[in-house]
Amino acid sequence: MPAFLLPDLGEGLTEAEIVTWHVQTGDTVAVDQPIVEVETAKAVVEVPVPFAGRVTALHGQPGDVVAVGEPLLTVDTAETGSVLVGYGTSSGHHRRHRATRSSGDTGIPPRNGRPPVASPLIRQLARNAGLDLTTIRGSGRGGLITRQDVDAAISARQAEPAAVPEPAPAVPPAGGVIRIPIRGPRKSVADKLSRSRREIPEATVWVDVDATEMLRLRAALNADESAPKISLLALLSRFTILALSRHPELNARIEGDEIVMGPSVHLGVAAQTDRGLMVPVVRDAQAHTLEQLAVAVAERTRRARDGTLGPAELTGGTFTVNNYGVFGVDGSAAIINHPEAAILGIGRIIQRPWVVDGQVVPRHMTELTLAFDHRVCDGGTAGGFLRFIADCVEFPANVLRHL
Amino acid sequence: MTAIAERSPGPPVTAPEVTMATALNQALADALTEDETVLVFGEDVGPLGGVFRVTDGLAARFGDTRVFDTPLAESGIVGTAIGMAMNGLRPVVEMQFDAFAYPAFEQITSHLAKLRNRTRGRVALPVVIRIPYGGGIGGVEHHCDSSEAYYAHTAGLRVVTPATPGDAYMLLRQAIECPDPVIFLEPKRRYWSKQATVLDHAGTNPKTLDRAIVRRPGSDVTLIAYGGTLGTALEAADAAEEEGRSLEVIDLRSLSPFDDETVTASVRRTGRAIVVHEASRFCGYGAEVAARLSEQCFHYLEAPVLRVAGFDIPYPPPHLEEYHLPSVDRILDAVDRLQWQETSPAVRAGG
Amino acid sequence: MVPRSRKPEELLPTGAPLTLVDADGRAVPSAGLAMPGDEALLALHRKMVLARRFDTQATALTRQGRLAVYPSARGQEAGEVGAVLALRPQDWLFPTYRDTMAVVCRGADPVEVLSLLRGDWHCGYDPYEYRVAPQCTPLATNTLHAVGVAHAAKLKGEDAVALVMLGDGATSEGDTHAALNFAAVWQAPVVFFVQNNGYAISVPLSKQTAAPSLAHKGVGYGVPGMLVDGNDAAAVYAAVRRAVASGAEGGGPTLIEALTYRIEAHTNADDATRYRDQAEVEGWLARDPLARIRKHLIARGLLDEPAVAALEAEAEAEAAALRQRINTGIAHDPADLFRHVYAEQTPDLRWQQQELSAELAAAADDPEVAR
Repeated sequence: MPAFLLPDLGEGLTEAEIVTWHVQTGDTVAVDQPIVEVETAKAVVEVPVPFAGRVTALHGQPGDVVAVGEPLLTVDTAETGSVLVGYGTSSGHHRRHRATRSSGDTGIPPRNGRPPVASPLIRQLARNAGLDLTTIRGSGRGGLITRQDVDAAISARQAEPAAVPEPAPAVPPAGGVIRIPIRGPRKSVADKLSRSRREIPEATVWVDVDATEMLRLRAALNADESAPKISLLALLSRFTILALSRHPELNARIEGDEIVMGPSVHLGVAAQTDRGLMVPVVRDAQAHTLEQLAVAVAERTRRARDGTLGPAELTGGTFTVNNYGVFGVDGSAAIINHPEAAILGIGRIIQRPWVVDGQVVPRHMTELTLAFDHRVCDGGTAGGFLRFIADCVEFPANVLRHL
Repeated sequence: MTAIAERSPGPPVTAPEVTMATALNQALADALTEDETVLVFGEDVGPLGGVFRVTDGLAARFGDTRVFDTPLAESGIVGTAIGMAMNGLRPVVEMQFDAFAYPAFEQITSHLAKLRNRTRGRVALPVVIRIPYGGGIGGVEHHCDSSEAYYAHTAGLRVVTPATPGDAYMLLRQAIECPDPVIFLEPKRRYWSKQATVLDHAGTNPKTLDRAIVRRPGSDVTLIAYGGTLGTALEAADAAEEEGRSLEVIDLRSLSPFDDETVTASVRRTGRAIVVHEASRFCGYGAEVAARLSEQCFHYLEAPVLRVAGFDIPYPPPHLEEYHLPSVDRILDAVDRLQWQETSPAVRAGG
Repeated sequence: MVPRSRKPEELLPTGAPLTLVDADGRAVPSAGLAMPGDEALLALHRKMVLARRFDTQATALTRQGRLAVYPSARGQEAGEVGAVLALRPQDWLFPTYRDTMAVVCRGADPVEVLSLLRGDWHCGYDPYEYRVAPQCTPLATNTLHAVGVAHAAKLKGEDAVALVMLGDGATSEGDTHAALNFAAVWQAPVVFFVQNNGYAISVPLSKQTAAPSLAHKGVGYGVPGMLVDGNDAAAVYAAVRRAVASGAEGGGPTLIEALTYRIEAHTNADDATRYRDQAEVEGWLARDPLARIRKHLIARGLLDEPAVAALEAEAEAEAAALRQRINTGIAHDPADLFRHVYAEQTPDLRWQQQELSAELAAAADDPEVAR
């Protein structure tokens, strides 16, 4: 018993509203007899039935909206019910079963002696690792060098004893010009620094701080020789964590259009090593006491210098603290450790004239510098953050108020 | 993550459902109300209200000096619109169907696009040409063309295409206010699509006329679509999710100028891109996108930029249309061809 | 190819439309036209009966979703049939999308003709078989093609005239202007047959032109214009015959405006109530071209009731056959998409065809495809 389906009555229409039925169930209809009036978005149309026979069902009442392709009425007829041609915006495309997910190779033959590599990204991976592609056997079709091939080559190389970054290839200086390729860890660092400067609109605030009281406090803490040494960096870190709890925007990262702030402070502590700048991370630094922090920082720094830090300990930081005072300088417009939002630096501590109670006296002065991603906060917040730390340094006893 | 216009519009729960045709109608009505220099004209836009009813009721409401039918000549419609714009009016004209715009092509490319430049900025032509385009409606020959590449290739024209009713309203309002000539391509297969949304001008942000939007965030592949193929792309993303792949879907909205920022940010994250359009692949719009991504994202690409597009044939008759239009399956096949094995790190135990 | 200079009065149409059989079926003397013979009149009537039944059947099929769209020419049978019967086998017909009746009248198989509107292919017949150009949607573009075909015939020394059909709206397009001008300058044997049915979709003649009549447009190009009652099949036939003869004898192009009316809406997707009154439609129904010629033939004893009944039965049988054939779907071969883009398939297209084949084969093998 064929059903007459509502056709698309005008170039992409999707539905029609039943206005009036001209027949009822039980009526006998002839071919092309008008049986219903419907209204589409464009017009009111009288629709004729394509079969003859007895109406056995009407599929809707006046006022009902019928979608194109849905039944209008059913007719009991001897006809075999020819297929109704559907037009319009039917998106009823059957989904094909997708059995095998082939890798869909590109099957590229090597050209001119240059080995084919699966993507520019992988070519770069190889280049950064200092790999000679012609020595790699490609496992993809047509000798395509895949990521796995490159990874395998990198692992094989890392298994080799030479852990020191290779010195620059011996290039006879031509007129005294020396070329050092930027490769390996140096390349990673270089890329990260470039990316930071490229993507982050950073601003810097700094302040001169009287560290005299902090030095006294440290001396007092370290009087007990049996206890772990509390370093300046540990103190600074503790103050920083406290400040971050008050200004969590600075413990953030930018993802797309959002500022993402996490509950934990994974503190990166910059360390200068033979391999260059490294930033080991103390995870969940906010849960460390001052002593635990001092121990963790000392240990990380030692291992960084020994080269025994794993990748997990070098990533995932949310804030970085940097002591460049060891270089003998006061301030630095530091480069933020991408994708973090800020970096705090402390310079050298030396005696300088300072005014205390109206008198000019020598004090142990230092400079604190905060470079921050201006998208996460304004100058007020950044200034407040830095001021808070400065106050901690100048009046460390006051820190007790916040504990 | 960024808001997805289709899924979570944000406006109050009581926002009514509007079709794209209604949204466009409202945009024209509001523009006519707010700016007395706006005119709407073309063939059958007056009493009939347009063959897609986009100008329904406007002639009755605003009178036939502001909304009117012209004699049947597309070159006449665009040519006179140029003259009217030269003399201070803001014409919003209609080409009845994509393929009927071709008699006006001379006026569009030789003059509409070039008069500002020709006169060193002294002559501005704030003309909007509305053109229903694309297929998927079972239309006979000449009713389903995708001619966007011709216009996008013409410097001096802006080419804009909404895929949702909300965007149709906003982009048409902004196009009418734009000092440049805008080719406003309306995907006719979406005219009756509905969206529950408040129609918002976003007049405070004219830049949206230039901007793409991420409709659905994802991490594995960037699907770039516009107009009629946005729906297919979103369906493909749903299907891919079942197969364990996360597709990010971008609705370009502005074909010219191209929103490099949004698209390259996405592709740099995903490393893989597919452009989806109805128009034929050869020299189609996707070729421009692929070239740009190759230039700007080369070192982030894990695979070539692929295009899922119509075949290089004249648009098929209704019964063969389904073989030609980009389908969910074809998009998924293209996703499969993005070199997953060759570019992923091997899974190591404990790694 | 310098056009013969003619005086304006030779080019201007008559003030009143030329008529041979008036609305009541009475013969009217006409200075300009010769009444067709009895056989011709009977043929006109018969073909109009068949054409009308074909048209109403096509309209019904469209509302049933069997055709994607159908622009009806109901009410225009005199023009559709009269113009075509006035052509000789070697002449060419250039129809618009509305002139399906005319194409069928010319002899093409109705289902092949409806191929376009059923969505099977853009043109279902061989243009060279009956010398009928493909129907298509863009308006007035066919005028230039007609001029070209006619001019080529002339260059080849062939006796062939091209008749191009266009509507009142199409006369506003730039191509019409170019075509009339080229035809006149080249003295091409073209008959520009304008069926002025009052509307271009919804736009009435008053918004389309300020000319005294569309036939008056000819004088500007040096093309003689004739204004004809488009609902008078005898007059249409005679006028076209005269224009064809003139073209065949080296007289160049003629512009004929046939005044008629589009009884149905533009297509099934159109709502004519938005731009015209039912009263207007009723007025034109009273001037029905078929009733008029029938009345005339009956009055002259050339036709009687049984003959009419037999004709209507014939028409009914054809309609039933059309329904049956249209409802029987045909197979569509996706490979056709790639076969005729170029004379020789390019490698790129061959590759695309193979891709599609592979895709379809995979789907066919797939037991899980939801159909």
